[in-house]
Amino acid sequence: MVIDLKKCIGCTGCALVCKAENATPPGILWLRVVKHETGKYPQVRRVSVPLQCMHCAEPPCMEVCPTGATFQHPNGIVDIDAELCVGCRYCMMACPYDQRFFLSAERTYFPGHTTPFEQAGYQRHQAGVVSKCNFCTPRLQRGLEPACVANCMSRARTFGDLDDSNSEVSKLIRDRAGYQLHPELGTNPSIYYLPP
Amino acid sequence: MARTEPFQIRIADLRERYRPQREWAEGRGLLLILAHFFTGAGAGAWLFAVPLGSDTGLVAGFFLAVLGAVGHLFFLGRPERFWRMATRMGSSWISRGLVGLSLFLVTAFLYLALLFLAAHTTTLGSILLALSMLGALWTIIYKGFVWASSKGIPLWNTPLVPALYIAYALRGGAAVLILLAGLGIQLGAWEPLEPIKLWLAVSTAVLVLIYLEVMRGSGMTALRSVNLLLFGKVALPFYLGAVLLGLIVPIGIGSFAYLDHIPAGLLALVGLLSLLGDLSIIYCIARAGLYRPLPT
Amino acid sequence: MQTENAQEDLWIPTTCGLCYSVCALKVHRVNGTVIKIEGNPESATNRGRLCPRGVSGIMLLYDPNRVNVPLKRTNPNKGLDVDPGWKEITWEEAIDTVAERLRKIRREDPRKLLMTGTVTTQDEVPFSRFFTMAFGTPNGWNSGAGNHCGTAEHLYGALLHASWAKQPDSDHCRYLLNFGSGVGSGSYYTVTGMAQRIAEARLRGMKHVAVDPFLSPSAEKADEWIPIRPGTDAAFALAMLNVLLHELNVYDAEYLKHHTNGPYLIGADGSYLRDETEKVPLIWDPVDAAAKPFHSPEIKDFALDGVYAVDGQRARPAFAVLKEHLAPFTAEWAEPITTIPAATIRRVAKEFAEEARIGSTVVIDGKALPYRPVAVMYFKGAQGHKNALLNCMALELLTEIVGASNVPGGLLGMNSCSVGEPETGQPAWIPKADRDGLMITGYWPSFPPPYPPKEVRATETIDLRGLIPTCPGSSGALPVVMADPKRFAVPYQIEMNLHLGSNYLMTFADPEAVARAFQNVFQVSFALFLDESTYLSDIVLPAASYLERLSHTADWMSSNAAVGEWCYHVRQPVVDPIAQRRSVCEVLLELVERLEMREEFYAFINLLLKLKEPHMLDPTRCYSWSEIVDRRYKSVFGEARGLEWFKKHGVLKWPKQAEEVYWKPSSSARVPIYFEWFKTLGEKVKAQADEIGIELDTSAFQPLPEWRPCRAHEENSPGYDFYAIYYKLPMQTFSGTYDNPWLDEVCQTNPFAYGVAINASAARQRGIEEGDWIEITSVATGHTVRGQAALTEGIHPEVIAIAGCGGHWSKYLPIANQDGKGLCFEWLIPVGLDNVDIPSLTQDTCVKVKVVKATDRGSKRSSRSSRLNDLNHLNDLNPG
Repeated sequence: MVIDLKKCIGCTGCALVCKAENATPPGILWLRVVKHETGKYPQVRRVSVPLQCMHCAEPPCMEVCPTGATFQHPNGIVDIDAELCVGCRYCMMACPYDQRFFLSAERTYFPGHTTPFEQAGYQRHQAGVVSKCNFCTPRLQRGLEPACVANCMSRARTFGDLDDSNSEVSKLIRDRAGYQLHPELGTNPSIYYLPP
Repeated sequence: MARTEPFQIRIADLRERYRPQREWAEGRGLLLILAHFFTGAGAGAWLFAVPLGSDTGLVAGFFLAVLGAVGHLFFLGRPERFWRMATRMGSSWISRGLVGLSLFLVTAFLYLALLFLAAHTTTLGSILLALSMLGALWTIIYKGFVWASSKGIPLWNTPLVPALYIAYALRGGAAVLILLAGLGIQLGAWEPLEPIKLWLAVSTAVLVLIYLEVMRGSGMTALRSVNLLLFGKVALPFYLGAVLLGLIVPIGIGSFAYLDHIPAGLLALVGLLSLLGDLSIIYCIARAGLYRPLPT
Repeated sequence: MQTENAQEDLWIPTTCGLCYSVCALKVHRVNGTVIKIEGNPESATNRGRLCPRGVSGIMLLYDPNRVNVPLKRTNPNKGLDVDPGWKEITWEEAIDTVAERLRKIRREDPRKLLMTGTVTTQDEVPFSRFFTMAFGTPNGWNSGAGNHCGTAEHLYGALLHASWAKQPDSDHCRYLLNFGSGVGSGSYYTVTGMAQRIAEARLRGMKHVAVDPFLSPSAEKADEWIPIRPGTDAAFALAMLNVLLHELNVYDAEYLKHHTNGPYLIGADGSYLRDETEKVPLIWDPVDAAAKPFHSPEIKDFALDGVYAVDGQRARPAFAVLKEHLAPFTAEWAEPITTIPAATIRRVAKEFAEEARIGSTVVIDGKALPYRPVAVMYFKGAQGHKNALLNCMALELLTEIVGASNVPGGLLGMNSCSVGEPETGQPAWIPKADRDGLMITGYWPSFPPPYPPKEVRATETIDLRGLIPTCPGSSGALPVVMADPKRFAVPYQIEMNLHLGSNYLMTFADPEAVARAFQNVFQVSFALFLDESTYLSDIVLPAASYLERLSHTADWMSSNAAVGEWCYHVRQPVVDPIAQRRSVCEVLLELVERLEMREEFYAFINLLLKLKEPHMLDPTRCYSWSEIVDRRYKSVFGEARGLEWFKKHGVLKWPKQAEEVYWKPSSSARVPIYFEWFKTLGEKVKAQADEIGIELDTSAFQPLPEWRPCRAHEENSPGYDFYAIYYKLPMQTFSGTYDNPWLDEVCQTNPFAYGVAINASAARQRGIEEGDWIEITSVATGHTVRGQAALTEGIHPEVIAIAGCGGHWSKYLPIANQDGKGLCFEWLIPVGLDNVDIPSLTQDTCVKVKVVKATDRGSKRSSRSSRLNDLNHLNDLNPG
């Protein structure tokens, strides 16, 4: 995936469409947007940067997982089999991008009340396990783009095959000098950012 | 202010450039700290109790390790699935640790059972003892590697952490035996421990200094973590627990004891304080763990 | 979502109702539960995308804190923090009570009825206005006007762009000079569509220069941020105009001659010179050296400069008068006012002048059109000041002088011109010229449009809009007049308020003062939530949200971007109204029957919805709401495309033609660069005000722009050394979305959303660190609000910036009312005419404050008045 920081306006629509699509419970933020400020007044730059699982080609989370709950799909997407997860949270310590969330107990957005949406959606989330972005694998299986890509209101996100040098994402990375976060860690993330 | 639930604190953390890890230190994370402490001290005690021939030490070491294992178990989000953690020996230090700890606990239990039921040495007993010592050694070694292999937290992500944890586990083991001796329920000879204990305390102190100094120079995030330990929110448990109770007082008393005979009560105090120091250092290093800043 | 075992799995097209952009939705319903809200890719309004609010609508629909049953107040005391003591009643009892009240008022004096609404309910508020018109009251108030809407800005929309609002031409603009508007960054009109279009423009290389006290969500996306002292945008603009006309000599002469009143001759008294016979304005033809009527076919050229003698009178073209007027406003003059270096002003003016490419053309749809790829945008930030009318004038003239108004690349009216759908030719409107040659809007959301100037009348309305007809929208004077109508010779008092989903206590100014104006009013609220304003209600009715109701909502200008396609939508319930919630329009229809005002009401509907035979309403029978919606659709789009068609298809769209988007070159209607009638209008206002006996400063009724200080610039109490400003967030709409837990969650991850942005150095000088609780005290109201400091380099050192409309205190909003959920900026702004721009009745929204580190956490606000909790003892309204 490529995220164009020049296009991104930091609206957090991606964070919330992720929530709607995946019905993540309170405090489970598979996607978030941070502000990064550089410079001194009045020469200041503040950039909004959406962050989610980087789907590393060399995922440290998968390496440390003691149960095999964290695994890599053949297409490179790093996913979690909630049935296998014991909730040791080792992966949370291993992820250099702080992208994993532990659901300590079942909870709802309105304390003491479960909305019909949550009743329907929270079946997908068990307490006591770790979860994270899976690039909307169920959507991909239906031939759709991840929800954050499909909804981005500045069309800052492009989804595609990094291994195909002719793909839109590969071209964008080449033409606009796309970069990964913390490349020095050798994780080889699948999310590239285009400079603001 | 209603934002006191851990998940709400986690949301607020996401605003920060350097975000603390909390899962392995706060709330039920304290269980994990205790588990690491107890399994380490227990395995250490076992290792020292064998050459000293201290059955009480063996029993204490075993039960401490059991306590630690229970802590580990209940720290899990899904304790009923704990056995799955043994399935990734090839890559995960937790898998390796579970196997080592299980080996230790099972063989130690069988050995103790044999010891108290049969009351004389057998070949089986020797094999079990050897295996249990292997398990104990394994337990002591793996723990540091669990922390050190956590790529997300630069403060831990160094080979010095395993060294530190091994030192602390050994020291903890010795401290358990010294505590028992001080309480007057030590059966075997404990005197040889005294110089070992002192040596361990001094070398641990040196190791901590080296560790902090190295981490200060290991990037902004590790530096921040060190600052948290030395000047920040973790400074109090660090100075009070890890430094004063855990290092200065035991070393002081230990040095004094080197010159003169040490009363039993003081001996027990040294053991207890050392243990508290061990617990503190594990806790402090965990609490001071910070994630790298994002995006850069 | 697990849909394998679903008995029902539907995608329902409808429209969003969480802001005035009205995006098109596709709502996914499985077994009766809404599980996802997506943007409808069929619609050009949002092109399949949604903002954070839009996707979070599920949590509004199912929020257990929603009002579900009709409620009656049991506590006779009213106050900001006084619990009304709600008691559940039946709909029947509620309607009986409301109808009885309305009947009594209508018998006595229908003007005693007020309607307060919000711009986010684009369907209910316009329909309710038909109701109040038929009822016989002229009184309405869009309460967002305090801090969130334009007033003067909309006036110039009408006068210069024939539209309510405007946007840069996202397809061609190359230089966007943005004075604080949120266009393309998650607020302002067509939020979701413009976010995409402006993002494309950034990639295309459009330079965006943001003039803004704060590195706001909008300024963050700019190529250059120029921090400015609040309320001084006009000084910057005047200096730019000065550089353009006096240093660079850059202006679009052809445009000024043919499309503005620049050549109109102005006499010594400041008025047009008019010809004897037709009484139309004269111009000077330099070829024939003669004055001629502006529309004379014999004109060979128009003079823009010079001094001429006409019938013994000294006369100059309006443009020459403007040019001379601008002479003192040099960049050096502006520097100490704005804190922007003169060199920066000159550079921006030069870049703007060069990028305007005066004289160049571009071919679109086979026609060569003027190409002026520069636009000046502003909205509430630059306009929300004491000098709003003249501030906005200065900003608008930048675009006009270089001829970048409604041409490719420039500033475009949002749907000034429509030739209609190809099959029916409807809806259609086109700007036209009045007798003076100046433009009258083709379409305007209220009647009549601001130009030609309306008559000055004294006592008609409760908000001074009768007296001051230049106010195009909601009036900042309403709470002042309402609290003391006698003083303004208004012969009645407001006795009842139909309150439609606006939280006016938190969206205008000093809640205490606003509450004072409303405390003796019988208030009936159609409410989603028991928000702060419902604390003053007598009856609360459970309103259906946008996901639970029907309307022909989207045929309002603001959901179509200036470029692209025309799109008309439907709003339909995606679930049946939950509990006892009801659609406001349906309840109003019931009230119409109860009040026996069907004949008048239907007449207004027929007229204002432009119903055509055979779809006009016949007063001898009664129509349901869905029948009315159906008739509306059929009247506009033909028999085949009624409500059923829209419910099924969701969207009707067709491409915009070049002459609709870039309508100015082919329009004969001129726009003013010299606002000649303002002066005479001001004199009439003054005379009328004198007659009533109120002192009114009418000096700002001027034909040419000026910068004048706000109150805040002159308030210099020791210690009050910060300006407080307000700005919008892309994840909240006004005050109405703060109980949404999803939006709350993302706000918590953003340091500025709930915090107070403050310059890092300025904060540290005062011992304030990141996350510290600070107290902000207004010099003007004495109120103090508290919040957490968010230190940033990206803010003017004299300024603190507060986002959105947080700081709720209603105990019925359990998520929004917690400490640390933002601040209510309105506590800082006073209510009073001395805080209002008289010609446009715009509320000033900058204020001087004292900022200190809080010694304790305390509550979210405090007040110098200890009587806050019991308004019944408060009668000492500051007359302002």
